[in-house]
Amino acid sequence: MMTPWTPMRWPSEWKDPALLDLLRDTPFDYLLFDKPDLLPAVINEAQKRGLKASGNDSIPAAVTIVKGDWPGVKMTSTGMVDRASAGPTGAPWVDSNGWKIRLAAALHPGGDIWVDSLPQKPRLFAESYQIGIADAAAHGGRWIISIDEELAAGIGNRKAAALATWKKILAASGFFAEHRTWGELVPEAVLGIISDFTGKNEFMNQELLNLVARTNQQYRIILKNVVNPSAIRGLKAVIYADEEGPSQDVRDQILVFVRAGGLLITGPKWGQLPPEAVAAPNHPRYLMHTLGKGRVAIAQPDFEDPYIAANDASILMSHRFELLRFWNVGAVGSCFTMVPDRKRAVIQILFYAAAYFGNPTLRVSGRYRSARLWTFDKSEARNLEIENHQDAIELHMPPVSQYAAVELEL
Amino acid sequence: MHQLQTRREWLVKTGSVVSGAYLAGNFPGWAASAPSAPVAVGKCGTYAAAQLLPVLDKMFDQLGGLGRLVKGKTVAIKINLTGPPSYRLGYSPLGDTHYTNPQVIAAVVHLIGKAGARRIRVLECPWSSADPVEECLLQANWEPRDILSADSHAEFENTNYLGNGKKYSRLLVPGGGLIFPGFDLNHSYEDCDVFVSLAKLKEHATAGVTLSMKNCFGITPATIYGSGAGVDEPSLFPKGGRDMIHAGYRQPSKSAPGEKDPKSPRQEGYRIPRVVVDLVSARPIHLAIVEGIKTMTGAEGPWVRRSLTTVSPGVIVAGTNPVSTDAVCMAVMGFDPMADRGTIPFETCDSTLRLAEEAGIGTRDLRRIEVLGIPVKDVRFDFAAQRVRR
Repeated sequence: MMTPWTPMRWPSEWKDPALLDLLRDTPFDYLLFDKPDLLPAVINEAQKRGLKASGNDSIPAAVTIVKGDWPGVKMTSTGMVDRASAGPTGAPWVDSNGWKIRLAAALHPGGDIWVDSLPQKPRLFAESYQIGIADAAAHGGRWIISIDEELAAGIGNRKAAALATWKKILAASGFFAEHRTWGELVPEAVLGIISDFTGKNEFMNQELLNLVARTNQQYRIILKNVVNPSAIRGLKAVIYADEEGPSQDVRDQILVFVRAGGLLITGPKWGQLPPEAVAAPNHPRYLMHTLGKGRVAIAQPDFEDPYIAANDASILMSHRFELLRFWNVGAVGSCFTMVPDRKRAVIQILFYAAAYFGNPTLRVSGRYRSARLWTFDKSEARNLEIENHQDAIELHMPPVSQYAAVELEL
Repeated sequence: MHQLQTRREWLVKTGSVVSGAYLAGNFPGWAASAPSAPVAVGKCGTYAAAQLLPVLDKMFDQLGGLGRLVKGKTVAIKINLTGPPSYRLGYSPLGDTHYTNPQVIAAVVHLIGKAGARRIRVLECPWSSADPVEECLLQANWEPRDILSADSHAEFENTNYLGNGKKYSRLLVPGGGLIFPGFDLNHSYEDCDVFVSLAKLKEHATAGVTLSMKNCFGITPATIYGSGAGVDEPSLFPKGGRDMIHAGYRQPSKSAPGEKDPKSPRQEGYRIPRVVVDLVSARPIHLAIVEGIKTMTGAEGPWVRRSLTTVSPGVIVAGTNPVSTDAVCMAVMGFDPMADRGTIPFETCDSTLRLAEEAGIGTRDLRRIEVLGIPVKDVRFDFAAQRVRR
């Protein structure tokens, strides 16, 4: 995805066309109007300035709108981390639109994905806007910049605090406009999730995407109707959690993957395994089998909680194969992409909450000869020293907040 | 090396003599009569196996030899992987700060195997997790095969839940306990002949120090003693930390022994030392090993919001009596093992060592402890001075 536009929802409070000056030399080039009929002067002036402007119902055909959440660590109304919605390990719940963007991209290849989500109290900080922008862009989409009423009023009245927030929004948006080619890189993955993601398969599989991402397993979305050797290539494991067994062709493709050493995680709906499958010591929630060089884990009695299933996947597959590992980062999300010739990689890291400690550390599977760190607050990348480990590198980063990208060269 | 007793033998012997004084929490006679055992101190500057193995080997020889303790036995080793593996102190590897270093674990496994152990079980309750210990080690950036390959009889078990057992094992505290009369634990703590506490030499934010005895705080399964434990029955999987034991805001799952007196102080500095003593009474330690080659000062982990530093004391302490071993560790750290509440490092808590001494587990009186190997003064690393400066 090249994401040619940087969209913004024009605040309805901004009735004066002169406010378009705020967008001068900014990346915003597409304005969405909730009620275009009420602001004709603004629209005319925007178009004169070369900006695209439209109502919500007349967006470009190549754009898919994803209804998203306001990304970040879930908080109570009083601004505390919402422990009640924490996962079984006590880890805070994180809302992210990354998986929705990637699923939309898989379902609508070649198009642009815009995320429509409105800022939600109590997370209306400048950093919240930055994570909103970064969460979408890191996964190849664009958040439709939507500023809350108070901020819009403050910016319109040139209040210093509001303008400071505005400046941070511009910095984040500008960063991704400058690095829009990163959207063309190919996501790295060790785990594939195979489904049609619709109907009765929607909840479990979409939640798996959401929660697998929370574990920082790098995943690939594989639509059930395009399962082929190249779709599975390079993976260590696939999950097939659909309510009905696979077609014969899909079954055959997956079993070839397993016999070659892969892991299939599935449920009883998969049906019979080939007769040469051998029962292996069981897992508390899975019947384990070996098949050829690989393994099959059959959930028993079936997949129930996608949170547990997502975490089980990382253990069944083993952390040994994880591509990225983090220390001192708090609630973090990541997207690891690579150019097709595999000579350059970009790892985008989303810090959904302020880290408890400085000294964030990243381990990347594989060997690289250089590493550069990009952040919103620096126009140039900084070199990172590489600590070589067996089959991996470790990068010690300076304190960062909300977003960082590490560009690696082989 | 002292005569090995099984847990049951120990219970039988001590249960008959631990009496009303213990229950009353007042033991003037115990301190003088608490058992003592020699403690070996070794100096080791690095985690390189070439240096580590001979040092440990010599220390175990000084204690009378591992063979007498472990030959033909099932040995359980409780290591210390406190807190989530995603926290580091600065950029330092976890084994250099607050986790028992993997090289030390491997060396101990190797030497115990070499001494003829039939089975070596490396145990831990990793933070809020029922994942295999191996997976937790990988998350810590360790290679579990390095430990498993140290002896062909080595294996791991996560004891934070039911694990491989069919039911929890109930281990009772001789004399009834200070806080808990007994504990429901993973079977591994009963199904062993020899129990080793392989700890890290550290200060502790709540308990003053964490050494071989405090390491055993982590044998309690979070399915019963964790913040997400089941109310009536153990939860299937662990959730959260053991703040229930820290603060006493709730009771363990009703299926397990409850507190003796739910109206006793809810203060962590009161509760944690007592629960630790209950635990090491219920599950006696046969061999205490405290590793301080590299460690941290200020607290037990990087999540504690204090001034924390990485340090390299280059010391290992081992003994067959955990109280005496911990007393020597305290001396190495520049603390007075006879210190009591109100003095460093027990400014806001009771001394686990004093309570353990009063419970008759062992003496903390250095005059009654034979130190073998390197004299304490030659390995002293002054945690105390740093603590005073803080």
